[in-house]
Amino acid sequence: MDKLLTLWEGSGLYNLTLGQAAMIVVGLVLLYLAIQKRFEPLLLVPIGFGGILANIPEAGLALSAAEQAAHLARPGVLEQLAAVLDVDLARGASLDAWRHAVSAALHADITPQAYRAANDLAMDAGYSHGMLYQFYSVAIASGIAPLVIFMGVGAMTDFGPLLANPRTLFLGAAAQFGIFATLLGAVGLSALGWMDFSLNQAAAIGIIGGADGPTSIYVSSVLAPELLGAIAVAAYAYMALVPLIQPPIMRLLTTQREREITMTQLRPVSKLEKIVFPVSLLLLVALFLPDAAPLLGMFCFGNLMRECGVVERLSDTAQNALINIVTIFLGLSVGSKLMAESFLTVETLGILGLGIVAFGIGTAAGVLMAKLMNLVSHMPINPLIGSAGVSAVPMAARVSNKVGLEANPHNFLLMHAMGPNVAGVIGSAVAAGVMIKYLG
Amino acid sequence: MQDMQLLQDGLALMGVGMGFVFAFLTILVVVTTLMSLVIRRLAPAPAQPAPMPAPASSDKADDAQLMAVISAAVHRYRHRHRHRR
Repeated sequence: MDKLLTLWEGSGLYNLTLGQAAMIVVGLVLLYLAIQKRFEPLLLVPIGFGGILANIPEAGLALSAAEQAAHLARPGVLEQLAAVLDVDLARGASLDAWRHAVSAALHADITPQAYRAANDLAMDAGYSHGMLYQFYSVAIASGIAPLVIFMGVGAMTDFGPLLANPRTLFLGAAAQFGIFATLLGAVGLSALGWMDFSLNQAAAIGIIGGADGPTSIYVSSVLAPELLGAIAVAAYAYMALVPLIQPPIMRLLTTQREREITMTQLRPVSKLEKIVFPVSLLLLVALFLPDAAPLLGMFCFGNLMRECGVVERLSDTAQNALINIVTIFLGLSVGSKLMAESFLTVETLGILGLGIVAFGIGTAAGVLMAKLMNLVSHMPINPLIGSAGVSAVPMAARVSNKVGLEANPHNFLLMHAMGPNVAGVIGSAVAAGVMIKYLG
Repeated sequence: MQDMQLLQDGLALMGVGMGFVFAFLTILVVVTTLMSLVIRRLAPAPAQPAPMPAPASSDKADDAQLMAVISAAVHRYRHRHRHRR
């Protein structure tokens, strides 16, 4: 009978908390959105599955060794942990109360030294980091995965349309207003006392408005790792929703006549220009904003491999095999941050709400900037391409093209919109660099 | 008032951030434009190859000669096949 009881007490059903059940449902919803609705499936499938894995009771896949030990260890190990963490274990209290005290101490603000000491102690006692925890430390905490993905994005990017019409860079700059307006919104929510975001957290939330998954993950891993799960989910979910979020805003801000504007044909761009561009961008980053060097450096490197034409194999690997491998681990690592205790909070709702506002404001700022440029320049610019300034390559450019075709069935804006689109990638990486410089 | 402080920090970051993004991309526009100008001045793109004369534009004499060659070939082919049977 005792054996049966032990088996029952070790089962998932016995240990499942309400929060974990809710998070498993969230994971299933993400899988549904990815598989049935085709929302960014390449990322939401690993993220959703990782989220389910992270919430399997007792498995502790997303926990560090110290957290595992706090959940499972014998009283002797718990006492040692408590000594390292400077916690008082009440004599005569139940084992559960001790475990609770040690876990709470691990989640509270403790020095990295204490955390490392606790981890070492737990590993000596035979506990190890969970699989997803390992993935997270290798892929995201080190900053590597988002950067490798950025290199792949660079290798997939054609700067031709941007080089043919460099002024579209202004559209990419304007759309970054969404980032900073959202930052202000998050700070405002805290000032009103509705939520509790620090400036670092507000900045990490704002970057969702850049509509750039790897940049969002990179910035939040530096500035606010505790919010990474919610931020990544919001960023990728809204990127998938770009075709729904953007068109109403674009129609609202433009007149029929503006939407019908045809743009002049882009000039052909020589190979040499395409090779020199990533190098000159890198030099500018080196001169003016070294904090954006990790993101833009990898981006330029990937692009140079693509354009220089002598390392086809490397370029091919960067934009196919490598980016796919890294995407798998990035997705699972983000999923590991979908643990019930850190995800099921009011702040997550705030992040999801602010994220959609960020997209809207970025889109509007891009369109308005295009209208402004139309007033002062003699070359006509269709304001619809302004909305492509939020990065979301190439979805945002396709949306511009589609809305343009609705107004004038002979007006193909796709190539014109690719300019602001890749400018948006550069713009959001620059904004990320500024934020890391200012707050990091 | 800590909230006011936070709000002010947010506004400052917004100003600095937006300003820098615009400044950086403006410099990038200037540099890119200059680069393109210099490159197109120093190493002009090879002129687009002249459009190939369309085959349809060949004159009558050519056509007649072609017809003669083809029919001779067909004739010889049939001739040879008949022999083999």
